[in-house]
Amino acid sequence: MKPGKGSTVVAAALAGVLALSACGGGEAKDNGPANLRMTVWSANEAHLKLFNEIADEYRKTHPDVAEIKFDPIPFENYSTTLTTQIAGGNAPDLAWVLESSAPDFVASGALLPLDDTLKKADGYQYDDLSPATLKLWQNDGKLYGYPFSTSPFGVFVNTDLLKKAGQKTPAELIAAGQWTWDNALAAAAAVNGKAGKAGLVIRDFDYKGWDNLSTFWTGWGARAWSEDGKSCGFASPEMVDAMTTLHKAIFTTKALPGPGTTADFFAGDAAMTITQISRASLLKDDGFAWDLVPLPAGPKGPYSVFGQGGIGVMKKSPHADVAADFLAFLTNPTNSAKLAQFFPPPRQSQLTAETLAKANPKLKPEQLQKVVIDGITNGVVKPNHAGQAELSQQVRAGLDPLWQPDADVKAVLDGVCAKIQPLLAK
Amino acid sequence: MSRDLSRRTKLVLYGVLLVLAIPFVFPTWWMVTSSLKPVADIFAFPPQLLPVNPRLDAYRRVFELQPFGQQYLNSLYIALVVTIGTLAVSALAGYAFARIRFRGQNVLFLVVLAGLLIPSEVTIVPLFQMFFKLGLINTHWPLILVPIFGAPSVLATFIMRQFFISLPGELEEAARVDGLGRFATFWRIALPLSRPALGAVAIFTFLHSWNLYLEPIVFLSSPEKFTLPQTLTQFVDAYGGPMWDVQLAAASMTALPVLVVFVIAQKQFVEGLAHTGLKG
Amino acid sequence: MTRTDTRVGSVEARPTLGRARPFWTSRRRDQLTGYLLITPQLLGSAIFVILPLILVVWYSLHEWNVLAGTFDFAGADNYQALAEDPNLGAVLRATGLFSIGLVVFNLSLALLLAVLLNQKLRGTILFRTLFFSPVVVSLVAWTIVWGFLLQDNGGVNSLLDTMGVDGPNWLRGEGTAMLSVIVVQVFKNVGLNMVLFLAALQGVPANLYEAAEVDGASRMRQFGLITVPLISPTILLTSIITVVGSLQVFAQIAVLTQGGPGTSTTVLVYYLYQQAFQFHHFGYGATLSILLFVIVLALTVLQWQMRKRWVFHES
Repeated sequence: MKPGKGSTVVAAALAGVLALSACGGGEAKDNGPANLRMTVWSANEAHLKLFNEIADEYRKTHPDVAEIKFDPIPFENYSTTLTTQIAGGNAPDLAWVLESSAPDFVASGALLPLDDTLKKADGYQYDDLSPATLKLWQNDGKLYGYPFSTSPFGVFVNTDLLKKAGQKTPAELIAAGQWTWDNALAAAAAVNGKAGKAGLVIRDFDYKGWDNLSTFWTGWGARAWSEDGKSCGFASPEMVDAMTTLHKAIFTTKALPGPGTTADFFAGDAAMTITQISRASLLKDDGFAWDLVPLPAGPKGPYSVFGQGGIGVMKKSPHADVAADFLAFLTNPTNSAKLAQFFPPPRQSQLTAETLAKANPKLKPEQLQKVVIDGITNGVVKPNHAGQAELSQQVRAGLDPLWQPDADVKAVLDGVCAKIQPLLAK
Repeated sequence: MSRDLSRRTKLVLYGVLLVLAIPFVFPTWWMVTSSLKPVADIFAFPPQLLPVNPRLDAYRRVFELQPFGQQYLNSLYIALVVTIGTLAVSALAGYAFARIRFRGQNVLFLVVLAGLLIPSEVTIVPLFQMFFKLGLINTHWPLILVPIFGAPSVLATFIMRQFFISLPGELEEAARVDGLGRFATFWRIALPLSRPALGAVAIFTFLHSWNLYLEPIVFLSSPEKFTLPQTLTQFVDAYGGPMWDVQLAAASMTALPVLVVFVIAQKQFVEGLAHTGLKG
Repeated sequence: MTRTDTRVGSVEARPTLGRARPFWTSRRRDQLTGYLLITPQLLGSAIFVILPLILVVWYSLHEWNVLAGTFDFAGADNYQALAEDPNLGAVLRATGLFSIGLVVFNLSLALLLAVLLNQKLRGTILFRTLFFSPVVVSLVAWTIVWGFLLQDNGGVNSLLDTMGVDGPNWLRGEGTAMLSVIVVQVFKNVGLNMVLFLAALQGVPANLYEAAEVDGASRMRQFGLITVPLISPTILLTSIITVVGSLQVFAQIAVLTQGGPGTSTTVLVYYLYQQAFQFHHFGYGATLSILLFVIVLALTVLQWQMRKRWVFHES
């Protein structure tokens, strides 16, 4: 087209728009009373009510804070929305951070270091925070996120189903010192064979969420990657052993339901499930008889694994200091004890069976002691790495061929390493 | 075209239609009936076709947990405003592209058409940046302005253009003889004739706005401003697990009224479209 | 408005504009009306489509780490990376398979349903409603139900079981996963195309068939010689809408397969979503967006050009 009216109109429109978007609005960076916003992935009523109570209390003593708003974003869209908000210049002041994105957030420099604020806060007792829970959130000796929820994995057991299949309960096995993966898988297979229900379900794995398998392979001493994150661990002999056992349990003995088959433990469809203790709330009072036990011992002995969620303060927030101060209030010993009813706290003094029992009425003190307290103190966190999402995607795609009855375990795992080693080496 | 059919052919046709209907109906049926079941029964296997212990508990909780009435109104008024706005914008542009010769027409049409080709995942970040600069985050403006003027209305303009092209040229000749100007021709002659196409556009547009999912989640953050598809994601238990019964109750309430409107309007809609035909 | 009209309409009001020939010829006035009528749409496109697209091009020339807040010029690096991306072949293959499968299945089913519902039969309105109903159901609810039905021990396989067929593990096999995603998407939206086809079919004059009947043409021949040419404009419209829509399908894949197994259902939109929002490679995500845009543009232009060949009575 010749330079005519058409292109002039387009050019004029564009110029107008650019001018409009350049000078319009303006960012609300005032020095007046602070409006704080915290993105969370829970839209649960009880959670939000507790947060708002704590926030209201904080505002009584801090007139400079006009509003503290909790902004629930659905879990599946959490990363997308948070990223869009940050990219669009509307970052929240505080954000919940998923454990899988923790390394990215911590290393990016997007978060404010918290050590000083927390240590200085009145009656905070910083040293009370369990070092094991802080590790994921530290970089170069600084703390960039507060692990508000540290939830260990345990095994929920439907003792009715096990008895029906004529199996010993895990409690009996534990008493006899025989609570091992071999026995657990044998019992699970027996349930599948005799009771027609699923044996053992690794919850949220569903042949996609592979990081949940770390609750299994850690018992073999296997790791997804080395401590420094530089080399792939999938092809290690420990991992091959662990995955061979798992593959056999799925496809030969049918101790685990196969791919594309769902069985909900809490609906009574499975004898055992590995999940975080927070799921105890799904148990019904009038349901089946159940128990909560630690993960079975692997060839390398007993072990435990936990997952975490953290809260970070965005460095770019115009009120970053106020936000950090509020975080110190939100997580001080008093409020931490309140939050403990939903989120296992990182405070050693509160990691007692009594405190936790108040918050988890469905669990007995010895269950809490064995699974939660020992779990947090000795456990390893689920696999995490900078660029986790991309790695995770590659591992998922790489592991897919393993979920076939005739898979060559060693070859598949070598393939996984071939895929992710370049990413790890970055 | 329909010709009379023999009894046997009719029976065969009914059989085919019934079988074909299963995959369309079952999920909706499941959604509605499951909203009446206790959670434990929802994923029971084999699925219960009818709720064994029907209860309306979930429907009550939808309103307890969220300002659902307000959210319903939000979705409704946004969808209506978007539909009316889109009808206006697309009828004007569609008519001009179809019936008026002006320089640069084809290039400009391609420029507009580009909007049809861009998925919202592509432009969501720049749009967010723009609306943030304008101070319009957490308002309904992005959900109204973008569909009316941006990508979604392009489909509407396209449909309108295709429709207006099919009108016989004599109409305008006649109008000109009567001394009508171009705009009057559009307003008094072409527009009244285009009701069926406007009907198609209205249905497409309303449904698009009604089901919009990514944009509200990105742009809105206060529950009293939420729209329905976004609200569906808010019914979760303490550990992020969906409250199935409540979600399905809300989803049923979201879908059924639209379906009822379709049932009422479809006869007019389909037959209206047929009389003139969407002839390219 | 009236004032403007008089001024524009009368030559005398603008004496400076040439005596020999009035400036506001009816052709010029017509042109102006044309521009005015498209202004809202054009301005809207400029602000909400073209400007964002330009920004996306701008991003694609940068290495943008949203978290760290870095935004560094990278030149053609992202495009270089695109050319060398080892996943791209598989992604494009999945995209092509998905689009072709979707368009073919969607249009043939829509046409079949429309023809069935165009018969003289009681209750077609009921069936029309049934086939249309998924269109108004929330996408999330729809996909969740199908995810449940397509499990290895789900509803589809138990139905097949009663017929003595051992159904595959739909969402876990490479071929069947793609098939499942396509079918679920078709059932969701085929109602819209069906309604458009139905309207087109009802617009075909009955006397044409009667004449063909007299000539002894079979039903199939009538369909090929009369129906298809006469509804070809609708076929064009629906095929463009469907092709374009097929390249933008995202939520279904996210819910049903997350792009797996392997990368068998990782279509381009899903891949760019992963790169931009999950892996935080915003610049590269933008580059993939440009690729997607170019592909859709090319396909649409192609279909548009082809219309002259096969669409009956297009001007």
